[in-house]
Amino acid sequence: MPVILTVDDSPSMRKMVSFTLTGAGYEVVEAVDGVDAYEKAQLRTFDLVLTDQNMPRLDGLGLTRKLREHPGFRSTPILMLTTESSDLMKQADRAAGATGWLVKPFDPVRLIEVIKKVVR
Amino acid sequence: MQNVDHFENQKEQMSGASSEYLTFRLGSEEYGIDILKVQEIRGYEAPTRIANAPHFIKGVVNLRGTIVPIVDMRLKFNCQSCGYDEFTVVIILNLRQRVVGIVVDSVSDVMSLSDDQLRNPPEIDSTIDTDSIIGLGSLDKRMLILLDIEKLMSSSDMGLVT
Amino acid sequence: MAEVQQDSSGSGADFDLSQFYQIFFEEAGENLDQMEQMLLHLNLDTADDEELNGIFRCAHSIKGGAATFGFSDVAELTHKMESLLDKLRRHELKPNSLMVDVLLESADASRALLACHQSGTVGQGPATGDLVRRIQSLVNGEAVPAARQVAPQQPPTVEVTPPNPAKPAGDVPDAVGNKPSAGRQLVIRLTKLQQVEQANAVMELFRDIPGLGEIKASVAADALLDERVFEVHTTSSNEELLDLFAFHVAREQVVIEELSPPVGAGTNAPDGVPVNAGEPTAVAAQGYGFFDGAPGAPVQPVAEAKAPAVAVEVSKPSAKSGGAGFVQPEAATIRVAISKVDQLINLVGELVITQAMLAQNSRTLDPTIYQQLLTGLADLDRNTRDLQESVMSIRMIPMSVVFSRFPRMLRDLAGKLGKKVEFVTLGEATELDKGLVEKITDPLTHLVRNSCDHGIELPAERVRAGKPESGTITLSAAHQGGSIVIEVRDDGKGMSRKKILDKARERGMDVSDQLSDAEVWQLIFAPGFSTAEVVTDVSGRGVGMDVVKRNISALNGTVEIESSEGYGMRVSVRLPLTLAIMDGMSVGVGSEVYILPLSSVVESFQVRSDAVSTVGQDSRLVKVRDEFMPVIELEKVFQVPRYDTERTSDMMVVIEADGSRVVLLVDELLGQQQVVVKNLESNYRKVPNVSGATILGDGKVALILDTAALVRRSRH
Repeated sequence: MPVILTVDDSPSMRKMVSFTLTGAGYEVVEAVDGVDAYEKAQLRTFDLVLTDQNMPRLDGLGLTRKLREHPGFRSTPILMLTTESSDLMKQADRAAGATGWLVKPFDPVRLIEVIKKVVR
Repeated sequence: MQNVDHFENQKEQMSGASSEYLTFRLGSEEYGIDILKVQEIRGYEAPTRIANAPHFIKGVVNLRGTIVPIVDMRLKFNCQSCGYDEFTVVIILNLRQRVVGIVVDSVSDVMSLSDDQLRNPPEIDSTIDTDSIIGLGSLDKRMLILLDIEKLMSSSDMGLVT
Repeated sequence: MAEVQQDSSGSGADFDLSQFYQIFFEEAGENLDQMEQMLLHLNLDTADDEELNGIFRCAHSIKGGAATFGFSDVAELTHKMESLLDKLRRHELKPNSLMVDVLLESADASRALLACHQSGTVGQGPATGDLVRRIQSLVNGEAVPAARQVAPQQPPTVEVTPPNPAKPAGDVPDAVGNKPSAGRQLVIRLTKLQQVEQANAVMELFRDIPGLGEIKASVAADALLDERVFEVHTTSSNEELLDLFAFHVAREQVVIEELSPPVGAGTNAPDGVPVNAGEPTAVAAQGYGFFDGAPGAPVQPVAEAKAPAVAVEVSKPSAKSGGAGFVQPEAATIRVAISKVDQLINLVGELVITQAMLAQNSRTLDPTIYQQLLTGLADLDRNTRDLQESVMSIRMIPMSVVFSRFPRMLRDLAGKLGKKVEFVTLGEATELDKGLVEKITDPLTHLVRNSCDHGIELPAERVRAGKPESGTITLSAAHQGGSIVIEVRDDGKGMSRKKILDKARERGMDVSDQLSDAEVWQLIFAPGFSTAEVVTDVSGRGVGMDVVKRNISALNGTVEIESSEGYGMRVSVRLPLTLAIMDGMSVGVGSEVYILPLSSVVESFQVRSDAVSTVGQDSRLVKVRDEFMPVIELEKVFQVPRYDTERTSDMMVVIEADGSRVVLLVDELLGQQQVVVKNLESNYRKVPNVSGATILGDGKVALILDTAALVRRSRH
């Protein structure tokens, strides 16, 4: 079963994503911000990382950059969940090494669709 | 006095619950109450008296940390003064609003009554307020007065409700 | 769970998100609290990046959740707040107090709206249109926004039919570096509309948001019944439009078709999506995309993001926080339902009682034979005490929780009254039982308001009196022995002895001029005693100090006042650390045991019949030193049966409660111990003169006396 790391400082969003993904048959690990996520990434690999952009301590961009420097995560799909969909944001995401983006608020159905495209 | 509709309503309520009754004796009459409302049966221990309470409220006891009032049903309905010994029985009831203990003369068994054993109560002369009487059960030669114990204990003359 | 209204946009029909609402409400509440604190502490001149980011993130988080869970009125308002905060954190705007004001008001409004959603009374929340306009003005850099005084507590006017209550006014996210292109002509089709209001709301966006563009209803031959078509002229990108519309219609419902190629599109096209008519725009409507060639990207690039090849250096503040070292992780916490904690405390209480019983029963054992047992019991005693302390501390929360509401309250109040007030807090980390915290908040609020309203003088007056223009109100908390002492101190004008004595006489109280200061101050606690000096309620609800005193007494606490005319006033509240456990003195009457709260006991002594005099029929007084005090015979009050006629009540215990002293007549003093307070009313009812019950070491129940009630009784 594929394992997804979901990172968001908002508990309600985390729970919602977790619930949606486990319902679709994925295993989910939650992290409360970039630092927490990176620590969890030291312990195991994931099939996908779903991360919010704005978080305390280490935000989505920072997390993405750090993960890409880590040998185990060079090619892991990383999707940014973001409410900012500006061009500049996307450039930043791409530069940091993100695989793609998904705009918030999103529909749980769409989330699953998108994930299916990147998780084998 | 119960009319048929009222009885039918009561029966409907009761048929939702279990039709198992704990039976106990008060004076010369035998009563039955919904077993689901009974938490446990204990011996009598002297409660802590509460001043200015009605004479049939003996006081409160400690039931594993919870303060529970003890109502002597014999005093309320039956005798002028009653004794307490090692055979005195207290039924601890777990009702919606409260936990309360009632002192009765004796406790018998748990009986299952099916619908055809239930009867419409005639205009009987029971010491207990007929509003709380759901019906009569008859089994072998015994006649059981079935009580809505929840209603009875919440009635204002029981002194538990402000 | 309460019924919660939810908008139709933005959520999949197959997923029930309502299970997450409660978490979101709590989370949003915390974010709003944090935002408020940070706004109040914000230094306008040297605003810190971290602070601005922090405030932004709070608004952002609430907006995200509100939008996801369909609370579009909250989403719109917080989106607006976020756009202002975004500019602030990017240093495109400088913070000023008007901004802080409008953000604080908006936070209040958001709270109210969320409360409506939580209780299911949508449509009765505050109107947000004015707030939105004011924020927009500030965002646009206008010096003085047209601020209409909209008090969030006013009776709400229902503006629009649900499910889109507030006036829609989401702003177009304004990203740095976006050059607005010249206008584009679009045909926008809204499909699968559940209500016509959704389409109207979209149209209103164009009306309410300056610069968004023009919209005109249009007709299309193939439009279905649940579709609406518009012609739109705008300089905004499709992405921006979809973002805006998302508050009213889900992205999948919007189809954007461009009629003419983008005019003046340069290398910095604001819209990353190629705007040809037809298919690719539907892609934008999907709201996601993958970067070509990015690690992990799907083999078939589904959508776009054809960003310009030029890599743009992004130096956003948030990126900065990502790079440099980590902050040390904060203390880990765990959320626990209060009922679980209460259950735990009950169980530990039981343990304490059982252990006490064991200790009592073992007292008569021969130590030489039972040495191991007795040692074990001594260990048990210690362990139980430690466990109890530990468990009680779970419910302890810092006073900062209580203190945190005052800065905001004082800011508003002082502003209204035209006074300048500095607020100082000390001992915020002092901990207090959660149950107490909830009950102490109201009385403290009254006291603080009092200080501001009646203590602190107007700036001019203060200057005339040689004081600094700004008054200071200090709120402090500290542990003292087994109690917590909370003080409210101000450097205002203090109380006037004369005014109080006069007022007391006016009310028919017989007061002598010889009363000590302390006694004079205590007069203000008398019921109905309210001079303009001491009562306050700026919103008009007269509340007296007597209520404050009563509240505190109900917590087994005491209140003391010190005042110096012209210099200020100090009110000290002393409370036992927890409600559940009390220091008690047990007394015997007949064969019964009663418990007195130790905090009420002044002294005790053996009665001397010559000191007792009978007044009237039954009332007895006893002379203690120079004071005459009423005697209350517990035997009579509680009708204690006397079996042993040899015994009489000959011990006197002086108690003080409700501002007076009386003497209780009992048989004997049995001892002092900590008792676990049990509620009598859960299964029985309120008993006069009794405040609760406890279980003694022998397993028996003892009643805890309500000393305030006994004192009051003696007055009749």
